[in-house]
Amino acid sequence: MKELLAIEWMKIRRYRTFWVLVGLFLLLMPIWNFEVAYGLINLGGGKQGVNFLNTAYSFPDVWSNVGFWGSIFVLFLSILVIIITTNEYTYKTNRQNVIDGWSRLGFYHAKVLLVFIISAIATAYVFLLGFIFGIINSGSAANVFSEIQQVGYFFLLSVNYLGFALFLSIWIKRSGLAIGLFLLYSFIIENIAKSIINHWTDLPVGNLMPLQASDELLPFPIMQMAKTMMGNSPSISMNVYALATMLWCLVYYYCGKMILVKRDW
Amino acid sequence: MEPVLSIQNISKSYGSVQALKNVSFDVPAGSVFGVLGPNGSGKTTMLGIILDILIADGGTYSWFGGMQKDAARKQIGSLLETPNFYHYMSAIDNLEITAAIRQAGLEDRERVLQLVGLTERKTSKFQTYSLGMKQRLAIGAALLGRPKVLVLDEPTNGLDPAGIAEIRSLIKTLNKEGITIIIASHLLDEIEKVCTHVAILKKGTLLLDGPVDDVLRSEDQLEVRAADMQELQRILQSMDGITKIRLADNTLQLACAPGIEPEHVNSFCSGKGIVLSHLLLRKKSLESKFMELTS
Repeated sequence: MKELLAIEWMKIRRYRTFWVLVGLFLLLMPIWNFEVAYGLINLGGGKQGVNFLNTAYSFPDVWSNVGFWGSIFVLFLSILVIIITTNEYTYKTNRQNVIDGWSRLGFYHAKVLLVFIISAIATAYVFLLGFIFGIINSGSAANVFSEIQQVGYFFLLSVNYLGFALFLSIWIKRSGLAIGLFLLYSFIIENIAKSIINHWTDLPVGNLMPLQASDELLPFPIMQMAKTMMGNSPSISMNVYALATMLWCLVYYYCGKMILVKRDW
Repeated sequence: MEPVLSIQNISKSYGSVQALKNVSFDVPAGSVFGVLGPNGSGKTTMLGIILDILIADGGTYSWFGGMQKDAARKQIGSLLETPNFYHYMSAIDNLEITAAIRQAGLEDRERVLQLVGLTERKTSKFQTYSLGMKQRLAIGAALLGRPKVLVLDEPTNGLDPAGIAEIRSLIKTLNKEGITIIIASHLLDEIEKVCTHVAILKKGTLLLDGPVDDVLRSEDQLEVRAADMQELQRILQSMDGITKIRLADNTLQLACAPGIEPEHVNSFCSGKGIVLSHLLLRKKSLESKFMELTS
């Protein structure tokens, strides 16, 4: 495992696109959260705008805020995973890795490990941002750990998105098409399907679709507030969404594995 | 001695196209084994299968008498079809990955770069390389860690004549050191000059395999002309040691038994009162033999 990761690191550490995307992720996320926290991003724009996003950045609400916005930024990382993986197909280095003595599964597991490592680092970063904003806005570290499960949800969401991106890349092999389909699916296709399913069911079963299941773990804080105010529409518990997310990750893993083991390279 | 590679009944189709049909052969240790065939005969497919890049529909293969396949590939240096490297990395950095996967020492990188003449450009990015340099790097990568076997698919692709000669002498040197070399090519010249064994493929079928001298025994040919071709043909038919006579382009092509030299034919004809206006010994090339086999 250490060997797989060491080689994966050799591949990406000299790849400029990797550093640009990671750098943007690290740079833009605190700026964005800062602007939301202090009302710079608002409805209507300018100084008269309605500061509807300015929800609390103090403990414990800060976790759901940085978690939600972090989930949007995971798109950067998903695209990064797609680029890194499809590069192997473009350069045919996936073949060369196997020719040189990796097993097909070795190649796959190196990428799966990368998904976990990137998710772990992103999660640590979300924790760090939440902690800093929380301390500044709360004035004390009391309540730090209440609602801390949001950080765990972020990790699940990240593994889900990156895992889905990895699966798409392996399946489709071509960078442009995989990125296009990834964005199309996550923004449009899944929403269409979700709405149709939810229209016909009492419980919002459509929310259990692959990416949506983890989106539900970190909902848009304002919408969450609105929902709570509107009262008791039937809902699915967070535990179910967490479980569904993990199940989807397993599905991507096995589908990817099947494709890699059975297909010509 | 146990063969380095043993292939049994390998078949492979792409949709309705059958790329390999029940191909079996052994590669003896220490040989330079040429896999020969026209474009599309299944050479690269064959190599792809034995390197686990492609999956055969049927049949088996085993390296080194049945070694675990991933472990076996670590001891095989391969160049398949095109040089495959990370474009954004330099030669030396690309070789770091190759060395890590092959579990070879990093210090071996300088040696192989020297061997393929890329030492001066080792820190340039792969994407800035010319086709020939890419090919050289691929050959260098294959040599990393001193593998026991080399698998080379069209190794002289993209190289200039000097480069081709270098690779040829490199192959000979490595073979003398005891490395088994499997080389696929449609360039017969290449095969003829270096191979000890060949397998000839045509449309996925194995036509022949074995030591090169057995498979491609050269038969010499004599060409003769005279003013009266009919008379010449008539009298040559009575000469001992002429096994076949064929008239083409107003020239008689003679297949001769061993020991029949041009002077024998000349003196035989002049003894019969015919003066030859043309007498030429043509060594039958591998190329014509190959054309004969595959067409």
